[in-house]
Amino acid sequence: MNWLLKGGRVVDPATGRDGLFDIVVADGRIAAVRPAAPRRGKAAARPAVPKGTRVVDVTGLVVMPGLVDMHVHLRDPGQEHKETIDTGTRAAAAGGFTTVACMPNTEPRNDGLAVTEYIVGEARRRGVVNVVAIGCVSKGGRGEELAEIGDMVRAGAVAVSDDGAPVATAYLMRMALEYTRIFDIPVIDHCEDRSLSAGGVMNEGPTSTALGLKGIPQAAESVAVARDLAIAGLTGGRLHLAHISTRASLDEVRRARAAGVRVTCEATPHHLVLTEKAVAESQYDPNTKMNPPLRSEDDRQALLAGLGDGTIDAIASDHAPHHEDEKLQEYDDAPFGIVGLETAVPLAMDRLVRPGIIDLSRMAELMSLNPARILGLNKGTLAPGADADITVIDPGLEMTVDPARFQSRSRNTPFAGWRLKGWPILTIVGGRAVHDLTPAARR
Amino acid sequence: METTTTAVRRGGRGAPPRPRRGGAGGPAPAPRADVDRGARPVAGAAPAPPLTALSQKHLLGIQGLSAEEITLILDTARSMAEIGTRQIKKVPALRGKTIVNFFMEPSTRTRSSFEIAEKRLSADTLNFTPSSSSVSKGESLLDTARNLEAMASDMIVIRHRASGSPHFLARHCRSNIINAGDGTHEHPTQALLDAYTIRERKGRIADLRVTIVGDLMHSRVLRSNLFLLGTMGADVQVCGPPTLVPCGLADLGATVHTRIEPALEGADVIMMLRIQRERQKGGAFPSAREYFNLYGLTRERVALARSDAIIMHPGPMNRGVEIDSAVADGPGSVILEQVANGVSVRMAVLYLLAGGTLGELAP
Repeated sequence: MNWLLKGGRVVDPATGRDGLFDIVVADGRIAAVRPAAPRRGKAAARPAVPKGTRVVDVTGLVVMPGLVDMHVHLRDPGQEHKETIDTGTRAAAAGGFTTVACMPNTEPRNDGLAVTEYIVGEARRRGVVNVVAIGCVSKGGRGEELAEIGDMVRAGAVAVSDDGAPVATAYLMRMALEYTRIFDIPVIDHCEDRSLSAGGVMNEGPTSTALGLKGIPQAAESVAVARDLAIAGLTGGRLHLAHISTRASLDEVRRARAAGVRVTCEATPHHLVLTEKAVAESQYDPNTKMNPPLRSEDDRQALLAGLGDGTIDAIASDHAPHHEDEKLQEYDDAPFGIVGLETAVPLAMDRLVRPGIIDLSRMAELMSLNPARILGLNKGTLAPGADADITVIDPGLEMTVDPARFQSRSRNTPFAGWRLKGWPILTIVGGRAVHDLTPAARR
Repeated sequence: METTTTAVRRGGRGAPPRPRRGGAGGPAPAPRADVDRGARPVAGAAPAPPLTALSQKHLLGIQGLSAEEITLILDTARSMAEIGTRQIKKVPALRGKTIVNFFMEPSTRTRSSFEIAEKRLSADTLNFTPSSSSVSKGESLLDTARNLEAMASDMIVIRHRASGSPHFLARHCRSNIINAGDGTHEHPTQALLDAYTIRERKGRIADLRVTIVGDLMHSRVLRSNLFLLGTMGADVQVCGPPTLVPCGLADLGATVHTRIEPALEGADVIMMLRIQRERQKGGAFPSAREYFNLYGLTRERVALARSDAIIMHPGPMNRGVEIDSAVADGPGSVILEQVANGVSVRMAVLYLLAGGTLGELAP
């Protein structure tokens, strides 16, 4: 479908645009971006529009390049009771994401051609947004020997990770960072020293002590971050650090970057918004259990500063669906992780943009341009000629998070009942509307 | 045998009756549950009436209880203790109520103590252990609890390896939930019986120096005692090897020592915690022998405390690991008194928690 999005605030850091523009979409691509015409009579505007064009007045709304979530667990194949490529991509569309990167801890793991081809093919058949695959670093994710990364790249993988688990040894990390230089793809690591974190279920500190829950110290992350950075420096490979959650980790990243190490990193909305206090306040609600755990307020402040000063490159949801029965257990026994696709944008708008921690342009960088660049995708911009992946956000729309209305198959969120302002109301993928709450759609 | 005053103190008990000092001020709530539940002090009779009922539905932990509520439980326990001195050690306060003792971890003392308390209050009790149940067939904790409820349980006393599991049941069940020990979180009735024992012996809790020694990391007894003793105004010193001191313990109101000698100086109360031998395998200390050399409570070390210091242990004891038998069985040891007091304290807790929901069913 062809579109004319009229009069919106277009925020496109790739082109430096932040102002009122009309966007013309034709044949699945951005055809033109032109300064918004001063508002005149309808009759004056109409003749310029070719037939078959849907005209949407987006005055007062924010238009961003389609958002890219580089850290999503779609659970398909193998754990379809939690999520499928179908439901997961619907959740992405509803959350304003036009591209998601699918982590490889499926069953079987995505450690070779067959599973990568399944994910890419299934996404093409049933997915409603773009899906790119992330393959395993090691065969079976077992941390022993390299997976057939070349095969997976040929089938469409854009990065490798043993996510869910850290890359097991320093040696394997060295091999991965060297080997992936063939393809110029990043190695994404979940940084955790498991000898320090073993048995832990929340951040280690006075709160874990008072609750009698086994803690995971901040150092469990920063020790692994330091290891990876040293090896990235050694090899010259591209390292991306997933869901960074501590002040010490960010300090390590800053030091390494200053020394020329090729490293990028991401943070999740929940680590930017919540702290370990949520575990106590919710009286052991397993929807406050994720890995890395919710950290201290000091860590959260460091993450917010890292958004502002550029240390953090991307916001990624770490969307980790789990079935209700799996979360309806004792805190120690419930699995780690929460869903995030359908709350990431309102959390960013309400808790980051509204208080002025970041501006809209930085938000577009963190949630679209940078993740696209890290994964080497030709996405993340509204420049003419780009794929027509567009996210329209209503900054004034206030709604309550209602898990019963999630598109995701799972409901495991700590944000149920939160009243948030700033929601995605129109998601366009390749010129096709996949989520549409505009008045025109309701008409 | 209807009122406290006619009760006969039976000669077989070790300690003579002590003069009452530790009450909340004013008369203790009369026990007389055998006569009439209305025997609870009449609210509003005094200008500032002492607390006479618990507002909580559950006892999930000490954290969250006020000093007044703790005092109410201890005063009620004192009245309950009298029932244990009678010829017929039973009152009908909880007659017709079903209490499930849902013990998912091994326990001798606590489960027996709850069971005796329940029987003295005339409740119907059901003991439930995992080996003999559908838990061994993989049924979830919540489903098991809901099934027990479907058979009309009114209260569930739960012990479970996972911290927060009583809170989990409280969110999803109708019954009153009583925490009988959850993971490494809390063991509230233990702290209450410890407080009761201290108060009986010392007449007060406030301003006493209480030294707690042992595995601070994994002890739910420690946490409940920290919360209780802090709320009641005691000066709490804790001591253990740094490998068994959890992060941020000082933030919970304790002075932390890594050597036992300074920790014991001037102590009114010494509370030893059990050292689980599994911890040695986890690398927290090299051997039981070395632990005893560094932290074991010996007569020489007891001499550092006040001369009238009492020695406590929640049990089960590891003689020769954390405590020398000469101390455990010696003067100052109140370890068996703790056990005896446990019944009274648990009767008080059950009785007070039932007060809100069972009131209209009283004769």
